[in-house]
Amino acid sequence: MINRRQFVLASAASATALGIGLPVRAQEVPAGYPADYKALVEKAKAEGVVSIYTSTDDVQGRPIVEAFQKAYPGIRVDYNDLGTNGAYNRIISEAAAKQVGSDVVWTSAMDLQMVLVQKGLAEAYKSPETSHLPGWANFNDTLYGTTVEPVGILYNKAQLASMKLPKTRAELLAFMRDNKDALKGKLATFDPEKSGTGFLFFSNDAKTMPDTFELVKAFGATEGKTYGSSGAMREKIVSGEHWLAFNIIASYAIEWAAKNPALGYILTSDHTAAFSRVANISKGAPHPNAARVFLDFLLANSGQSALASVGAPSIRTDVTSGLNLTKLTEMANGNLKPIPVTTALLEATEPKNRADFFRRWKEALRG
Amino acid sequence: MSLSAQAPRYRASVILALFVMVAAPAALIIYQSFLSAPFFDETARLSLEAYEFILSDPEFYRALWTTTLYAVGMVAVAVPLGGLLAFLITRTDLKGRGWLEPLVLVPMFLSSIVLAFGYTVAVGPSGFVTIAFRNVFGVAPWSIYTLPGIILIGGLSHVPTVYLYVASAMRRLPSDLEEAARTAGASIWRVSLDVTLPMVLPALVFSAALNLLLGFETFGIPLVLGDPNGILVLTTYIYKVNTIFGAPTYQVMAAVTVFLILITLPLVFIQRRLLRHARRFAAVGGKGARTNLLKLGSTGQVVALSIIGLWLLVSVVLPVGGIVLRAFVENWGEGVKLSEQLTLANFQRVFELPSLSRGIINTILLAAVGGAFAVAFYLLVGLAGHRNHGKTGTLLDYSVLIPRALPGLIVGLAFFWLFLFVPFLVPLRTTLFSLLIAYIIVGLSYGLRIIQATLLQVAPELEESARTAGATTFRTWRDVVIPLVRPGLAGAWAMIMIVFLREYATGVYLMSAGTEVIGSLMVSLLTSGAMDQIAALSFISILLTAIGLTLAMRLGAKIHD
Repeated sequence: MINRRQFVLASAASATALGIGLPVRAQEVPAGYPADYKALVEKAKAEGVVSIYTSTDDVQGRPIVEAFQKAYPGIRVDYNDLGTNGAYNRIISEAAAKQVGSDVVWTSAMDLQMVLVQKGLAEAYKSPETSHLPGWANFNDTLYGTTVEPVGILYNKAQLASMKLPKTRAELLAFMRDNKDALKGKLATFDPEKSGTGFLFFSNDAKTMPDTFELVKAFGATEGKTYGSSGAMREKIVSGEHWLAFNIIASYAIEWAAKNPALGYILTSDHTAAFSRVANISKGAPHPNAARVFLDFLLANSGQSALASVGAPSIRTDVTSGLNLTKLTEMANGNLKPIPVTTALLEATEPKNRADFFRRWKEALRG
Repeated sequence: MSLSAQAPRYRASVILALFVMVAAPAALIIYQSFLSAPFFDETARLSLEAYEFILSDPEFYRALWTTTLYAVGMVAVAVPLGGLLAFLITRTDLKGRGWLEPLVLVPMFLSSIVLAFGYTVAVGPSGFVTIAFRNVFGVAPWSIYTLPGIILIGGLSHVPTVYLYVASAMRRLPSDLEEAARTAGASIWRVSLDVTLPMVLPALVFSAALNLLLGFETFGIPLVLGDPNGILVLTTYIYKVNTIFGAPTYQVMAAVTVFLILITLPLVFIQRRLLRHARRFAAVGGKGARTNLLKLGSTGQVVALSIIGLWLLVSVVLPVGGIVLRAFVENWGEGVKLSEQLTLANFQRVFELPSLSRGIINTILLAAVGGAFAVAFYLLVGLAGHRNHGKTGTLLDYSVLIPRALPGLIVGLAFFWLFLFVPFLVPLRTTLFSLLIAYIIVGLSYGLRIIQATLLQVAPELEESARTAGATTFRTWRDVVIPLVRPGLAGAWAMIMIVFLREYATGVYLMSAGTEVIGSLMVSLLTSGAMDQIAALSFISILLTAIGLTLAMRLGAKIHD
């Protein structure tokens, strides 16, 4: 009777989602918030719902949603994982139809979300948590960085046991060049043509690191393969089909390596880029007060702890669960280079710049 | 005397309503392809930019060529195999037919993403079969990431589609012709080729044409298996173009879709020509013919069982085994002892997530209840087109195939817009009805063809005699046609249920919190690479289908008869 069990479990899960039978320790006004915050929370509760458009999948998003539900039991969270393009597409379409459905937009497509801000589809709101964020993570009190997620290497320990592991970008380049034949078809990386995140990583590299296309050229010479997601690369590394993947989301890699002894990760010590999941409130949000309460929670210590517990390291320095900005900077040997939330993100979205990048990318990939 | 002169008002209104449902999304897409920006963008103006872009892009031509090879190759694999399996299971006394049939259908239960994923885990470069083979023979001489590999897997996964059409046609054949041929000394294979084959030609033609269309529209298999080697088909090209521009470029997606429509329209034309004489194939006479099964003999049994066994191994055991294995382990591959890796964690995770558990419930609702709605709708349309050789009949044939020419992803996107911008549809947007309507359109050619094929089997003499006796067209349908095709309706429902269960592309743009469905959840999980959950969801999806089918059969609805 699997079916019945499924239903029981499913209903239990739904009940949990609805906050039925949960021991609630609701906080009326978080410490250090303005006195009138209570009124905002009351309005938010009257709205009763907050709708999130995100690219963070349900597995990763769950802890923050549950923590929010615990803190504000009167507000239901409609969590929509639409992917980066899907979220962007839905937001511009809904705005054009004057039927805004999102309260908070929260994706890893830093560039696309900056485009939304430029199009006037985001609402400015100064969160009481602003003082806890680094300056590069706050754009005009409108678009906020909520995580700091390094870009790094995932590898299969058994397959690389006899080789010297690259610890810096320079060593990675040498590693690929020196072992060109042994590594034939054994390397993987993010595909900037198929994934917005991949594009963000490589276009940011191309902007900040002079050796980027040399690295791609060396990778191309080993006949490496490119993939549209870190998860797909993990699958191929675990199975031994590939030995090493570079420029993948290393916050995931760190989690996976902790769970699976066959896997190892590397943050290159001379330069480790990091991206951020960014959040803003939608212009014309159907539940504007709930949107504010959720955004504040996303940036607050409790929300950040929930995120960090599932491998999305905190952008704050005072969060103790999981990883945070300080710990990551140490792990990257002081060379953590977060991509700032600024209008510079828009450069890569210019058609001419993109075409330019892809031309160089394709050329380099031929090895 | 032509029946098409009767009940013209009913025919015309149903067909026009359908035409609007189908044409609206298609028209929106065609319109979008001639714009410079999204149609709702103030800066949008008429322009040929999108066409200029794709016609100057070598990648597009390569994708077009690959897609053509894939579609033709898939038909070449699926149609003969599907026809052969249908013949063996429905027309002969093959041992174990009863339990073989559901097994033969298994690949239909799986969305192609899952199937491709299953093959990767089983026979991919580090699949468990590949590793075992390599350990024994030192080498595993195959690669599923090549075009031939993708074509073979695509073809095998479409065998059940062919099987369903052909088997339901074969079940209605009287056996006297075959028996006569056997008595005259023809071998069983001769009989199948010279007697059975011509009689089920319409079903074969339909399924070949349909599979050709499916081939052009294919997405999941090339997405999973083609990407590592950069093998692109048109749909994955659409997918890729999106990212190259950095934001959804609807006009380019739309222009590629227009090409797909242009490719498939000639197919429809050919199909119509072939079936102009559908009358010739009418095989259910006034008396319900009871068929006798052909005797295979002992050698025949062995040969037939070997063929089916091999097909089952490659098409069912490998991918399903891969999925089952992957659903219950967290790690696999070279040097990993699977026995040490067994876990239920993947499932636990699925049930902990409200969206995923909701997705399971929604999928059940859409497949079972929505599937019944769909069949009722298809029957209304099918009757409107039945023995309708007039202009509306032609319109119907083309209407039916338009959505097949549109990739599910694009149909979903177009409906998302329609539900957003058409005022009276707005309230439905965030309900399961929006998905159901899109699903009905996506499943239209599947469902309608199977119902039409069944309707065509009713000998016109029966209808004509009812009409002669003074019955109206409606009365004829109610008292003659529908009772004769009722068994076919249960089969259609089961089939539509399967189609809805495994649908994955249509809901991607349409679903929202509360209206999640398993298939589309898998697509979004694939984006973030949550393979553990995909494997668990696939497994649940297979289970659901198995439960649904068992239930359907218990209720007296056999798969087709």
